[in-house]
Amino acid sequence: MLWSTITVCKSPSWHVALLASVLLCAAPAAPAQESQLRVPSDAIAGQAASITTTGSGSGTFYLRGPSITLKHDIQLGQNIDLASVELQSAGRYVAVICANTCTSAGFFVEPAKPASLTFIVHPSRAPAGVNDIISGVALPFDQFRNLVLAPATVQFQLTAKNSMPATHAIQSRDGIAWFRSSSGKSAGPLQVSASLKDLTAQRIVQQVSSDPCNLRIKGQVTTTGILVETEPVHDCAGNPVPDGTVVTFTAKSGRDVSFVDAPVKQDVARAMFLASGSVVVSAASGVASGNELRIGSKESIK
Amino acid sequence: MNLRQRICRSILNGVAPFLLCSTLLGAGNSPQVTLDMTKASPRSLEALTQRAIIRDYKFAWSNISSALESNSAGPLNGLFAGAANDWLRESISSQSKSGITSRYLNQSHRLEAVFYAPAGDVIELQDTAEYDFEIRDGGKAIHNEHAIVHYVVLMTPAADRWIIRQLQAVPHF
Repeated sequence: MLWSTITVCKSPSWHVALLASVLLCAAPAAPAQESQLRVPSDAIAGQAASITTTGSGSGTFYLRGPSITLKHDIQLGQNIDLASVELQSAGRYVAVICANTCTSAGFFVEPAKPASLTFIVHPSRAPAGVNDIISGVALPFDQFRNLVLAPATVQFQLTAKNSMPATHAIQSRDGIAWFRSSSGKSAGPLQVSASLKDLTAQRIVQQVSSDPCNLRIKGQVTTTGILVETEPVHDCAGNPVPDGTVVTFTAKSGRDVSFVDAPVKQDVARAMFLASGSVVVSAASGVASGNELRIGSKESIK
Repeated sequence: MNLRQRICRSILNGVAPFLLCSTLLGAGNSPQVTLDMTKASPRSLEALTQRAIIRDYKFAWSNISSALESNSAGPLNGLFAGAANDWLRESISSQSKSGITSRYLNQSHRLEAVFYAPAGDVIELQDTAEYDFEIRDGGKAIHNEHAIVHYVVLMTPAADRWIIRQLQAVPHF
């Protein structure tokens, strides 16, 4: 184009050529009108939007977002329609138009309304009667897995068998609502739920008995030795401890000391000592210790 | 070409530039990450956890940059999960289809821990990131800006590291 301008300007009838050169040559030779673009100011994830462009002629449009990159030809001066599927990820997008030069603008896409609740509850098994041992964290996400950061009220509800539900209404902050709670007195399942409008997520925490409390043992002399056993082992709230809880029996006879670790089976732990004469037997489990038994030969003591 | 690259090239022009520039640029392009944990609640952040988060977040951003510059998802392996992982992979895939690459240069990240779950299984960070962002079509730069971008980040602990599950840019905190 520059070459054709020069050719016209060198023609002999330069007065006519001057006008002609303005009309024919100047436009192509001059810099093209710079294109501008106006990006959406309130785009929502999963909703179509459009970008307004100015200028004329053809150009190339680029869109770079959190999960997408687009490139296609456009006509400057026309709107560029962005389909809903192209704006599903919340975050920052950069739109670029290139003709002779490139022009760009950034814009944000906000999350859509909550469509699911991620609900994390710990622990899955909690000892009964312990302060602040159960915690839950709820995070609202929209249908495109964007974290919804707008404040919203999440209702947490804890329901144990044979007791009134406990409810906490917590306002989410920075996309997170959370609670912390004590476990109940009774062993059994605790249903924990988080609700946000019509969304609900439920988890179960198994409340189990705590450490044994107030061990009581009894014993008797048998033909093969001394049999000792606990009374039904409970925690301090009266919940039977689970099978497998270890009770350590200790037998002292003079300077001899013997230990037996016995698991609780159907609420009771048993041990047999091969001893004769006077023996002092005691039991312990966790931090709980039981009564001492002094058992003599051919004697039965409770 | 950013300022650091220009200076480097002009100083070292003709003097074994490749090796030295690579070394200098490598040092400059390693993301700078700081973490303020004073607002972390309800659980306070242990010193070891703090160091691990800084290490892993820095490594993650370094690899985001590598992945998007080379259009290869390999550098992302094991550093991301969930939506963050899927989005980055989709981004790489669509960049590759379009012949586009992008670069994050001179990164600096100021992290602030705003939530650390009672059980320690999720942390929310707010990152005020500053970097030179460049988009290239083929060999031609079509966009270049010095950007300050705010990110909301969710990280969870994995076997030996913290991984990013959500990396969502927001207009402001």
